[in-house]
Amino acid sequence: MIQSSLQTKKRRGILGALAFTAVAIGLFWSLAIAPPDAYQGDVQRIMYLHLPSILTAYLSYFLVFVGSALYLWKREKRDDLLAHSAAEIGVLFTALTIIEGSIWGRPTWGVWWTWDARLTLTAILLLIYVGYLMLRSLVEDENRAASAAAVLGIIGFLDIPLIHMSVYWWRTLHQPPSILRPDKVPWENVHPSMLTALAISFAGFLLLYFYLLSLRYRLGEMREEIKARRLDRGW
Amino acid sequence: MEAWGFVSLAYGIVWGAILVYLILLKRRYMNAAAELDTLKSKEAASDAKK
Repeated sequence: MIQSSLQTKKRRGILGALAFTAVAIGLFWSLAIAPPDAYQGDVQRIMYLHLPSILTAYLSYFLVFVGSALYLWKREKRDDLLAHSAAEIGVLFTALTIIEGSIWGRPTWGVWWTWDARLTLTAILLLIYVGYLMLRSLVEDENRAASAAAVLGIIGFLDIPLIHMSVYWWRTLHQPPSILRPDKVPWENVHPSMLTALAISFAGFLLLYFYLLSLRYRLGEMREEIKARRLDRGW
Repeated sequence: MEAWGFVSLAYGIVWGAILVYLILLKRRYMNAAAELDTLKSKEAASDAKK
């Protein structure tokens, strides 16, 4: 038991070190090596944050979806814990995506915010998962809170395909994808050095995400253990 | 504001926020770990008395 816990800690430490290294290389590549964009200039470097952070948020909400569905099906606490942990980190990355987008929007569109379909749907996504976290803290009965949150977690995930398709379905200020396009392969459309910066930055975000998720999940496990031990002893 | 001003602002906010979240998460983690350890030693002491 103790040995397994130490091994998990060691693995988490390695993951943290890898994340730190990838983030540092990604930052250097994004800010110093990748060339400025032909139209937008240096301000386009915000893309190396913007795209990885929203993709990380999507991954997080996918885990909320999976954890929530499994919890409603099997009623196992670990699935609920995964969904709860992923939702918390997903909210962080969604909020950061909106902030980065706003900072990028000011010099390129001339406004900090506009009620564009993609922006509005992303703001709704953030509100749904902030609601998810609030629901968990407001409802006293833990099982009821977990079930209600699981339903919201599943419904909230349906917003992601809408966000992705919004630039095709509506006339929006937000540009359609430059990299993941159905008509072109990425390296035909984007400078290889820009693609490399994006790939390293994304790898850094992913490693960091799994590091944060493992910490947050373990925190949840410890809280559950504390509750169970207190209940067992009547303390 | 120049282009690099916007870039610095975005990078500063993002990495600052992630760092703050990491520090707060670590603090919550350490507090829970300490509470669990205390609880375990309290249990052990209570069992030893019996």
